[in-house]
Amino acid sequence: MSAAELTPPEAARWAARAGLPLPPERHAVAAATANHIHSVVAILRELDFGDTPPAPAYRAREERHDAAV
Amino acid sequence: MRPYELSLTAAAAAIRAGELSPVELVDSVLERVERLEPHLNAYATVTAEQARHAARKAADDIAAGRSRGPLHGIPMGLKDLIDVAGVATTASSRVRADHRAQADSTVAARLGAAGAVLVGKTHTHEFAYGLTTPQTRNAWDPGRVAGGSSGGSAVAVAAGAATFALGTDTGGSIRVPAALNGVVGLKPTYGLVPRHGVTSLSWSLDHVGPLTRTVEDQALVLTALAGHDPRDPASLDAPAGDYRPGADEDLTGLRVGVPRNYYFEHVDPEVEAAVRRAADRLQALGARLVEVEIPMTRYIQATQWGLMVPEATAYHERTLRAVPELYQVDVRTLLEAGELMPAGDYLRAQRSRTLMRQEWARVLADVDVIAAPTVPATAAKADQETITWPDGTVETVSDAYVRFSAPANLTGVPSLSVPVGHDTAGLPIGMQLLGRPLGENVLLRVGHAYERSQPSRALAPAV
Repeated sequence: MSAAELTPPEAARWAARAGLPLPPERHAVAAATANHIHSVVAILRELDFGDTPPAPAYRAREERHDAAV
Repeated sequence: MRPYELSLTAAAAAIRAGELSPVELVDSVLERVERLEPHLNAYATVTAEQARHAARKAADDIAAGRSRGPLHGIPMGLKDLIDVAGVATTASSRVRADHRAQADSTVAARLGAAGAVLVGKTHTHEFAYGLTTPQTRNAWDPGRVAGGSSGGSAVAVAAGAATFALGTDTGGSIRVPAALNGVVGLKPTYGLVPRHGVTSLSWSLDHVGPLTRTVEDQALVLTALAGHDPRDPASLDAPAGDYRPGADEDLTGLRVGVPRNYYFEHVDPEVEAAVRRAADRLQALGARLVEVEIPMTRYIQATQWGLMVPEATAYHERTLRAVPELYQVDVRTLLEAGELMPAGDYLRAQRSRTLMRQEWARVLADVDVIAAPTVPATAAKADQETITWPDGTVETVSDAYVRFSAPANLTGVPSLSVPVGHDTAGLPIGMQLLGRPLGENVLLRVGHAYERSQPSRALAPAV
């Protein structure tokens, strides 16, 4: 297990910090799944983004919410 | 031919000619639903009574000269993430057991205004967070997965239990079940079809689109769905169009990109052969095949997960805390793990998507469409969890099904999945055509030309 991986107690603490208390029987599966997801998304750190902005769903101009169908 | 067997285009023509009444068509489809549902379980809710009532009204209106166009009196299924006023949007989840939609989603309202008749709400993988829809069976083999997450919609259309249906697609959820059940599925350009009133999996990746028997049918539905709605922040201000393809099969001058990497790696040989045969068919129709390099493939899964996982968890924040035990265990686990992803990972995925969109735009400047497999394998057995490729690589079924679909969700480009034959076990194979943003017309033209050059497809055997 690498230093970057969460142990089950650490996963429980992180979840609690995020406002989600996990029951004890969920600690191990949450840690394992989070570690797997981390191993996939961590690859993005290889990319040099320079000035590249993020691409969220976003519109600068507020519009009236009365659309016709 | 019995009414439930008709394509949307054929049914609309028969209704227009006075040869078929919406009442006959809807009754025929409802009988089919009643007969097949014990075997397929495509529907979460069947609205038979309302459908019969709507069919009678459509018949009266059409007889009185008040036709609303080709969808008038046509029976449809809507994925059970799509709000219809007065009906539950269960998302195929116990979390939504007591739900009742207060108003129509934009797409339900538009289809209602076009006269389409709701047969029922179709099953989804719970909250669209999965690729198999385990409660529904494949229309070609009940021992196989339906695909997902719009599994119910694809199975209903394949089996004649709906003349068309809508699904949603966040990482392939329209195209994957379309391919696995031998129907046509379109993920439109991001923002072309409004998502207001549709339960979200991941705001920045979600799309709504049709599942149909033919490409021509797609055009009829898309014409009714497309158009700006400011209640969806991603909705584009694109002019409304008529997407119906012409009768011309000639593809002379069209450049079809055939990927030299990614899309033909870790693919079942029968799937690869069928897709290459279909690309050759496009060449025979006049298109020029051009090799293309798919960019940034190493980062596709990372970017997809980096966006989808935290967005899905954010959507479910309240219910994950209030009623976690009501979720299926696979979905609950992913939602919980999503709480543990740092914002930095999410932002990296957002920035990676910016780069990916730029790179894909460069590729699509050189070709009009890209032809590739929709999924690398046909429908897996219901209890199968992984696929082992000849080089020993093991991949989960879900990861395999998302692999080829995700790029279109990340970049927003439209993607049309078209049936291109069957494997030796008789299971359908799909080819996806990817195009430029708002290039739906080109995809439908190519798909329609291909379809016209092939013998017509039968409905799935279903039982």
